[in-house]
Amino acid sequence: MSFIDRIDPELVHAVDLMPAERYIAISEDPPKARQMTEEFHRAMADALPPTDVTIQETVIPGTDCDIPIVIYQPTDPAPRGGLLWMHGGGYIVGTARADGHGIGFAERAGCTVVSVDYRLAPESTYKDSIADCFAALTWMVDNAGELDIDAGRLAIGGGSAGGGLTAGLAHYNRDHGGPELKLQLLIYPMIDDTHDTPSGHEITHPTIWHRQVSFEAWKMYLGDEYGTDHVSPYAAASRATNFSGLPPAFVTVGMLDLFRDENIDYAQRLMAAGVPTDLHVYPGMFHGAEMSVPNAAVSTRMRTDYLDAVKRAIG
Amino acid sequence: MSFIDQVDAEIVGALDAYQAERYRTIGDDPPKAREMTDAVNREMRANLPPTDVDITELTIPGPDCDIPLAIYQPPGPGPRGGLLWFHGGGYIVGDERDDTRCVEIAEFVGCTVVSVGYRLAPESTFREIISDSFAALNWTVDQAPELGIDRRRVAIGGRSAGGGLSAGLALYNRDNNGPDLAYQLLIYPMLDDRHETPSSCEITHPTVWNRDVSIKAWKMYLGDEFGSNNVSPYAAPTRAKDLSGLPPALVTVGTLDLFRDENIDYAQRLMAAGVATDLQVYARVYHGAETKAPDANVSKRMRLGYLEPLNCTIG
Repeated sequence: MSFIDRIDPELVHAVDLMPAERYIAISEDPPKARQMTEEFHRAMADALPPTDVTIQETVIPGTDCDIPIVIYQPTDPAPRGGLLWMHGGGYIVGTARADGHGIGFAERAGCTVVSVDYRLAPESTYKDSIADCFAALTWMVDNAGELDIDAGRLAIGGGSAGGGLTAGLAHYNRDHGGPELKLQLLIYPMIDDTHDTPSGHEITHPTIWHRQVSFEAWKMYLGDEYGTDHVSPYAAASRATNFSGLPPAFVTVGMLDLFRDENIDYAQRLMAAGVPTDLHVYPGMFHGAEMSVPNAAVSTRMRTDYLDAVKRAIG
Repeated sequence: MSFIDQVDAEIVGALDAYQAERYRTIGDDPPKAREMTDAVNREMRANLPPTDVDITELTIPGPDCDIPLAIYQPPGPGPRGGLLWFHGGGYIVGDERDDTRCVEIAEFVGCTVVSVGYRLAPESTFREIISDSFAALNWTVDQAPELGIDRRRVAIGGRSAGGGLSAGLALYNRDNNGPDLAYQLLIYPMLDDRHETPSSCEITHPTVWNRDVSIKAWKMYLGDEFGSNNVSPYAAPTRAKDLSGLPPALVTVGTLDLFRDENIDYAQRLMAAGVATDLQVYARVYHGAETKAPDANVSKRMRLGYLEPLNCTIG
């Protein structure tokens, strides 16, 4: 059965709506890819219904440069839980204006969402990206009072590359004595630079995040470490060998996602280490489908399941 | 952290000395274990809220003896979906009057549930048990008009040993050109006789289905084949080499279940074989918790997690 035939009937039309050029540009022309992504996200943001969530763009000090962030505040009474959100985009594209997610979590979980504009590859590599995320997390704790956040109810989360950063940040935070985290939300996280799994070989369709573009992105993100045996687990969390003491995890992915098997394997290793872990894999779904076709039944299920996970953890 | 400390706070209370005694007895004294299981099931039945679902007991001719069935019919006109249901009990205990699960499924999905009183080990082995199951499937499809079942919406499913039997029947049915199946519902299915995964070594607590009782149950179910390299995939579906062409699957299990890893691995192999597969793993949940502590939030989530997709498929 072909890749297309295996896609959920409600999602299949969206495969051809997304231009393969965007993924080609990620490897060949990152600035152009960023521009295309921004247009794509603006169109998605324009389609969002009106909201009571306030959206504020600001800048916080980072380790060696300022970090732009976006704060999503719901109308729920304070103090609220706080979610640090890492956007997706293969570590190459995307911005902190992740309104679909920011508003979604703020509304459903009644939490404050801080979305971080971490530095991107290839201009920077994972060390800078992780440092920016950790700085933003530390800033959230230090400014919990002003943000109306209960520092005892913190979570981190992200989709795709943002999910990979979340997994890496969970390790980094544990190893550097960071704050206690109630949840790491890993939405089809990009955590394995080897793609040496069945799904890592299976998903090659040009308009869906696929094997070739993923390797190109890893090359830029890892810099000199790419292709070696000593890739940092902060960059590629699948490389980690110590899973003890990590925060509870919620891992979710579609069955037709390049990352399917690396995500399942990672969840299994978390479970074996005694980390409370939920895992949900949905049939017929490709990478990012729940955002590109938000009204499909399976998309609604996936989104509701991860929104509710945040609500249970910090709501 | 001890096993008990890892269990969700809302379900831990249902683990008690009686459970430990019942599981120990399943391995050591099957007739007594059946009595104990009957008593548990009778008590559960007595506590069920009133229902409009009509419950009929009958026998049908099997390959070499009659097979008892219980048929659960929701009110209202057909044609409805049909679910052929296999109770749990380690292949050693249990019977077709699995009212707790069957009434809920019939009500939620609005389908006819046909629950099979298959023969049990050690008096019988997997060959007789699989042939009873296949006979019941053929009977259900043959009698579809009389049962008010739409032949195109017939699913199979079960929990624990009944989940293993469902997976084995899906393979047997494919290989013997049986009727089309719309779904296989595998609730923490008992699939793997080898007990070599991390979870199968990890779960040894006497109050839950554990390594010791599981190995004893497999010995009785497999008979002479136990411990050999030629265990039939119909008995232990993880032994199957080819998973292609099987019906869409839902696999659900808790992280503190002995079967966690074999269930995840099997789902992963179904996905790699192109079978549309829904995989759900719930943190801090032990084997059978969703019915032993039915009102806990995580128990409700787990039950809705399979009831809703089943409803979308055959409802």
